[in-house]
Amino acid sequence: MKLERGSIMLMHVVNINKDVLKANNELAYSNRKLLVKNRIFAMNIMGAIGSGKTTLIEEAINSLKERYRIAVIAGDVVAQMDASRFEKLGVRTVAANTGRECHLDAKLVERSLADIDLEDIDILFIENVGNLICPVDYKLGEHVRIVVVSVSEGDDTVLKHPMIFRTSDLAIVNKVDISEAVSADPSKMKADIEQLNPSIPILLTSRNDRVSIDRWIEYIESHIE
Amino acid sequence: MHEYSLACEIFETVIATAHNNKALAVNSIELEIGRLTHVNADQLLFCLEVLSRDGIAKGVKIDVNFVSPCGECECGYRGDAGVSDNVRCEDQPPLYEYTGLTCPTCGKLLQLVGGNDLIIQTIDIEI
Repeated sequence: MKLERGSIMLMHVVNINKDVLKANNELAYSNRKLLVKNRIFAMNIMGAIGSGKTTLIEEAINSLKERYRIAVIAGDVVAQMDASRFEKLGVRTVAANTGRECHLDAKLVERSLADIDLEDIDILFIENVGNLICPVDYKLGEHVRIVVVSVSEGDDTVLKHPMIFRTSDLAIVNKVDISEAVSADPSKMKADIEQLNPSIPILLTSRNDRVSIDRWIEYIESHIE
Repeated sequence: MHEYSLACEIFETVIATAHNNKALAVNSIELEIGRLTHVNADQLLFCLEVLSRDGIAKGVKIDVNFVSPCGECECGYRGDAGVSDNVRCEDQPPLYEYTGLTCPTCGKLLQLVGGNDLIIQTIDIEI
């Protein structure tokens, strides 16, 4: 209790105990239930800017679209470029613009899911905003979290972003065909990922190496009922 | 950088709670930040300071309790992973130190449990 300007003011402690990040996780859980109900396999593709997320998804769409019904949620801060790349491949595409945020969150994904006929979809790619940090704290409702880095970000990029490798289900080191040109050692990157997360599967890929792309496709298909 | 939107969400909750309790002023806010989140405490506090320049939360004091994850190992070891809580923001160790922690008993990489929250614990108001 303290006196101020002649009137008595009471000090009072109010318990709030609200977890600001938990609200997102609860929404992510309801997204997941919706996806499971519609028997959709959903991937959250996270990764650095320019690491090749869009290209890897395009390759997967081209290989899988004859056999599966595919949709893409293309996350970007403002642009529609990625979304139009997917639309050209003839799959259902929703552009999720975050406006000023550095990551997709469960609310944006919930809104995007409302624009998709979920009964007509088997596989959902959710391409996150290019960022190795912020997407870690935000679950979306996906079945697997996939992190993509490329050799051109430098072979020390894995150790600089430990949490995304600790919390992902698959790690992809992309553009390994240009390693020499950018003086990066993909085997160091692989070893760094193994050190951070000994149980994570790791793929070394290049769009010019069909065998490596086929392994990526096999990973996806191995998760489909 | 999503500290500003987190700060806005915290601030809205604080102000709504204050109004519901017919508060004349908000003196302090107590936050809990898990050390495994990517929330930068300095940036978050700066954003909260900017938001509270006017109104009933003007000059509000913000106390931060950092919470470490717990380290668990398949060998059965279970213990606090990291440094003691309530250290100052600048002493927050880099995430890499946590993610590289090994079991003191068997040497395997520790599984980290908890330390992922951002919680508004209490507010201290004048009524």
